[in-house]
Amino acid sequence: MFRSALRGAIGAGFMAAMMASASAQVLEIGAEASPTGLDPHLITAFPSFMVVNGNLYEGLTTVDRDLKIGPSLAESWTISPDGKTYTFKLRSGVKFHDGSAMEAEDVVSTIRRVQSKDIASPLASRLSAIDSAAATDAKTVELKLKEPSAPLLASLATIAIVPRSVETNKDILQKTPVGTGPFKFQEWQPNGFILLAKNDAYWQQGLPKLSGLKFNIVPESATRQVGLTNGQYALLPNIDAATALQLKGKPNVKLSETLELAYTLVGMNVSKAPFDNAKVREALNYAINRKEIVDAALFGAGVPGGPLSPALKTWAVDVKEFPCYSFDPAKAQALLKEAGVTLPVAVTMNVLPRQDIKDIAQVVQEQLNKAGFKVELKNQEQGQFIQDWRNSNFDLFASINSGSPDPDEYFYRTFRTGGSTNVFKYSDTEIDGLLDSARTLSDQAARKVAYDAVQKKLACSGPVAHLTYGTLFSAMRDKLQGYEVMPNRSLVLLRGASY
Amino acid sequence: MNRVLAARLIDLVVVLFGVSIIVFLMIRLIPGDAVAIMLGANTEITPERMAELKSRVGLDRPVIEQYLLWAGAALRGDFGTSLWTGRPVATEIMTHLWPTLELTMLSLVLGAVLAVPVGCLMAQTRGGGADVAMRIGAIAGLTIPSFWLGIVLILLLATVAPSFASLGYVPFLEDPIGNLQRMMLPAFALALPILANLSRLVRSAMLDALGQDYIRTARAKGLNERRVVYKHALRNALIPFLTSVGIMTGYLLGGAIVVEQVFAIPGLGRLILGAIAERNYPVIQATILVVTAVFVLVNFLVDFLYMIVDPRVRA
Repeated sequence: MFRSALRGAIGAGFMAAMMASASAQVLEIGAEASPTGLDPHLITAFPSFMVVNGNLYEGLTTVDRDLKIGPSLAESWTISPDGKTYTFKLRSGVKFHDGSAMEAEDVVSTIRRVQSKDIASPLASRLSAIDSAAATDAKTVELKLKEPSAPLLASLATIAIVPRSVETNKDILQKTPVGTGPFKFQEWQPNGFILLAKNDAYWQQGLPKLSGLKFNIVPESATRQVGLTNGQYALLPNIDAATALQLKGKPNVKLSETLELAYTLVGMNVSKAPFDNAKVREALNYAINRKEIVDAALFGAGVPGGPLSPALKTWAVDVKEFPCYSFDPAKAQALLKEAGVTLPVAVTMNVLPRQDIKDIAQVVQEQLNKAGFKVELKNQEQGQFIQDWRNSNFDLFASINSGSPDPDEYFYRTFRTGGSTNVFKYSDTEIDGLLDSARTLSDQAARKVAYDAVQKKLACSGPVAHLTYGTLFSAMRDKLQGYEVMPNRSLVLLRGASY
Repeated sequence: MNRVLAARLIDLVVVLFGVSIIVFLMIRLIPGDAVAIMLGANTEITPERMAELKSRVGLDRPVIEQYLLWAGAALRGDFGTSLWTGRPVATEIMTHLWPTLELTMLSLVLGAVLAVPVGCLMAQTRGGGADVAMRIGAIAGLTIPSFWLGIVLILLLATVAPSFASLGYVPFLEDPIGNLQRMMLPAFALALPILANLSRLVRSAMLDALGQDYIRTARAKGLNERRVVYKHALRNALIPFLTSVGIMTGYLLGGAIVVEQVFAIPGLGRLILGAIAERNYPVIQATILVVTAVFVLVNFLVDFLYMIVDPRVRA
């Protein structure tokens, strides 16, 4: 009897599997964590970003896989000779998911929404250069800037255009997003899944090819891996090297990889001893063996990294040009002696609770302890880590920072005196001057000169020891065509994917 | 009977009131600011924006005022809305309650129902081969962590019958077969420690009962062994068993976090875990209150069952 019951159950399983393949147009995605909300102007975390970016919403501009800025909802734009007026020509025939047409007034109200105190968007500073926005006609938007802003077009790619009707509404988009993207919101079962359906009225002809996206929230890594190998999930986006290596070579599974924009780092508090001393910071850089970190903590999947990701080919300075990147513990010891600090230098290091960061912190601890430091690791809960980070309550911390296609986003808020994420309390007049001028320069070569100087100075005596840029993977079923992992973790390419 | 009921109801109110205060204060004592956590690490935000966000969700008010506002609304049945998604907390709890409820029922039925015959058998064959084997099994069942068991079960099924290994959750009403197919493994992973625990308990309670005078009397008057064991001894051994089942039900309804995590089931445990991680105060407060209420109610039900099993309690 048991056997027949089992046979029946297995039969039912096959039937369910067949039914699943008949409607396989909805792409089943195994996602690690649940989004906390879907309002594109309020969210900051990757789980939300992954669902929202490029799938539900679009900006005036967009970033491609080579990190080049291209047109999206804006068809074209012109910049006035003084660099202070941007005129965007909007694409026609674009509709929001609620059926209303996307027009210049929506763009203007979106910019007001992001800048509004009441909405309190964390993206507001990306639009700080904008003085006013106006719709000159239904398809034309004019932005007046306080000063020229080189990173503006890159920043605009991250500002999702929303309908004017939600300008002052703080809650509605968190639950029921309305954008212009190739997929529209259908259902959210909290901690279960988020289902997006095909947007039939999408402006790009023939897209999307899939009939929907289902983000299944599966917190356990082993479970996600089983789900992919047995075909229940078709895609595990943005996974780390450890998971990717386990999935490598499994039947019907393929990997896509790219170098990340995000970097792992050791941050130093320069407002107090010992890291207020530039020599101590330089010593720390000499004491770190970045190659060993890549091999030991990232399974070889990554590269030693300087202040900019090597994925930014036009901007990044080769790490060979930074003298302190030649691993040299003796030199580190000598620098510490020069600095006049008592050896060993006892400090604590707060550690972000992520497995790769914990692994990296252990390797760094060992390396530093061999070169005259005495590092105590403090493994913290996420909330505690963030609190200490924000209050500059640390000697050192190990963490990961996201990047962007434009160097200004990497540097200005983090290293400019008084920058919004300058938790190190770093202040250097030369860096400030370079960063201030570089963001207003329109000449690419002149900008490059400024950012080269910034990178060289920051690499060895800045408040951050940049460690590595990891390889980011996506694992998927063979059948999934047209999707590739992006350096900024966006799933924007899913619009062209088929399964 | 009515007096017992009334006393229990008063208990419930007092416990809920106490718990509400403790939870309210405790979650605010956990280091880590809700707004800071929500914004995440390395996001650009000025102190002014933080303050604006804080006042937006009402966290800038004095704690006492926050408590009174919240408790007043809760008394009227309004648990408020989730800090960030704006979804009503009551809906949030209801959607997460069903998977947990089903998982609890399935694993209890599997575990507790099997525990009675297994425990009796162990007691009857005390010291024999079957007893020893089952006791070793029980210790294994107690010591194997359920997350490990869960992962092993998933991997095993994925190799043996890949098309049968479904993950996640579908509501029973939507797809009964798919639902049971997905719930079987997690229910089994949860039931094993319950079975191990309860069967050991039944064994020792039965051994205790079987040594009593009235059992000798029963045997002396010529009753067959099955009647002696299952009618006379078991009934007396049931009281500690019921107590344990009651407590376990309470724990299970609080959400079997680890198993829910491994099998990707959107239950209460994951709701609480997520809410604590993001310091989503209204969700934590309401969920813990609901779990407390269920715990107290289950204990009340157990007391009620005592009365049925043991006439002496009725007096």
